[in-house]
Amino acid sequence: MQTTIQSPVKALSILLRYDFTTQWRNRRSVILVLLVPIIILISWKGAIDKIGPTFVLSTCISVGLTAIGLMGYANALARDRDKGVFQRLRVAPVPTWTIMISRLAVQLAMILLLTTIVFVVAYNQSNITLSPAGYLLTFIAAMVGGALYLGLGQMIAGLLKNAETVNSTSRLVYFVFIMVGMFGETGLLGEKLKEIVQWSPYGTVKAILSASMKPGTWDQHALTALVLTLVYAGIFSFLGIRLFKWNVK
Amino acid sequence: MNQPGILQVENLFVSYGAVRAVQDVSFSVKGGEIFGLLGPNGAGKTSTLSAVEGLLKPASGTITVAGYDLKKQPLYARANMGVQLQSTSFQPELKVKEIIQLYAGIYGVELSDQRLNNIFTEIKMEDAKDKKYSQLSGGQQQRVSLFIATIHDPQLVLLDEPTTGLDPQSRRQLWGRIESMREKGHGILLTTHSMEEAEAVCDNVAIIDHGRIIETGEPQVLIERYRNEPEVIKASRKGKVTLEDVFIGLTGRAIRS
Repeated sequence: MQTTIQSPVKALSILLRYDFTTQWRNRRSVILVLLVPIIILISWKGAIDKIGPTFVLSTCISVGLTAIGLMGYANALARDRDKGVFQRLRVAPVPTWTIMISRLAVQLAMILLLTTIVFVVAYNQSNITLSPAGYLLTFIAAMVGGALYLGLGQMIAGLLKNAETVNSTSRLVYFVFIMVGMFGETGLLGEKLKEIVQWSPYGTVKAILSASMKPGTWDQHALTALVLTLVYAGIFSFLGIRLFKWNVK
Repeated sequence: MNQPGILQVENLFVSYGAVRAVQDVSFSVKGGEIFGLLGPNGAGKTSTLSAVEGLLKPASGTITVAGYDLKKQPLYARANMGVQLQSTSFQPELKVKEIIQLYAGIYGVELSDQRLNNIFTEIKMEDAKDKKYSQLSGGQQQRVSLFIATIHDPQLVLLDEPTTGLDPQSRRQLWGRIESMREKGHGILLTTHSMEEAEAVCDNVAIIDHGRIIETGEPQVLIERYRNEPEVIKASRKGKVTLEDVFIGLTGRAIRS
């Protein structure tokens, strides 16, 4: 009897195909993830002249990234772990890392989709355009920022075993990030909080997004924010991977 | 001469922190054999099976599947086993045919549309092809799960309490499939709480308790060996000693958590 082992690339391509199908079937939750940034973009249309297009666009993308990492990724991980989907895949002859890479690839595609939609709506609604370098750098910054939130999602799914607890916690963290981040950065909640928000994961991701939209504005602050974003992403991912259990039963 | 087992488990130890769930367990499963791992709740059955499946890292011991060391060549070992987990599920968003295609792809099995249609006829689920897994009945889910476990014609099939929650018809059908796998030369390792089924179907059983194998052999041989033991006689009803009586006699009457 011949033993057939797929190459890791082939195994990954098979997993990707069905993970994308799963994501496509979850269109409703995808739409919900994309809806909040679009609503912000449309409702802030009148304020763009005052606060600047980069502020609005970076806020929209930040909010979307938070939703993808916390609501989308963390919940999908927790749910599939709870149902035993991962265990079933793990007894098949595929390297374990391909299972996780496939999941992450779907989320990275979501990040690209979110960023593209924000750009398209921004152009249609408010005629906002960026330079080609601005678009390219923003896509890269969105991926880096997305890695931070995916790492955070992984950490939540690693820390908490119950799918419902992961769901409620990720929603709470999402809400706190968005509310404290959005209001805190304006100084509405005080100067101290403004300072904290600036160097929080929300603030650093937003800073690198803003600087990427206008590449000429990259300065020491943006560079520090980039380094911090990478550090946050590294810490969250490390803890998330260390703490994650494939099976909670 | 002894035929080498498709599955060889030697001196297996599994620990959860300070708790030793499996202690010095050794057994083998040959081709064309149904081997039942029996034990009360928490006895170490699922831990043993999980170690064989590669889902748990044993503290020590060796597991060989079709000649491949599970530790050294895990992918080759896993490619030679088909697994039906106790509480497994597939992506609920995927249709049944997509799940079959996914696993066929993973196991490197070519599936034409014609073959796929034949599969659904074979498992008597022609109308469920485009249904999502979550929309299937328990029996249908079990059939799909078992089919996927054997889609690549593995030498070893691992079944963790395969009949739990099935109605008598589905259970009978499932045993029919398991017996036909045995006829084709597959080695089957299963856990079950149904001693009646184990007695009727298993060629060999191992009774495990407190992480150790306390007895192993053919069901009828075990019954003969223990039929005069006071604990077994006490456990027997209607004057006929069954494997369940031997099991109760050996593992005690106390209910395990």
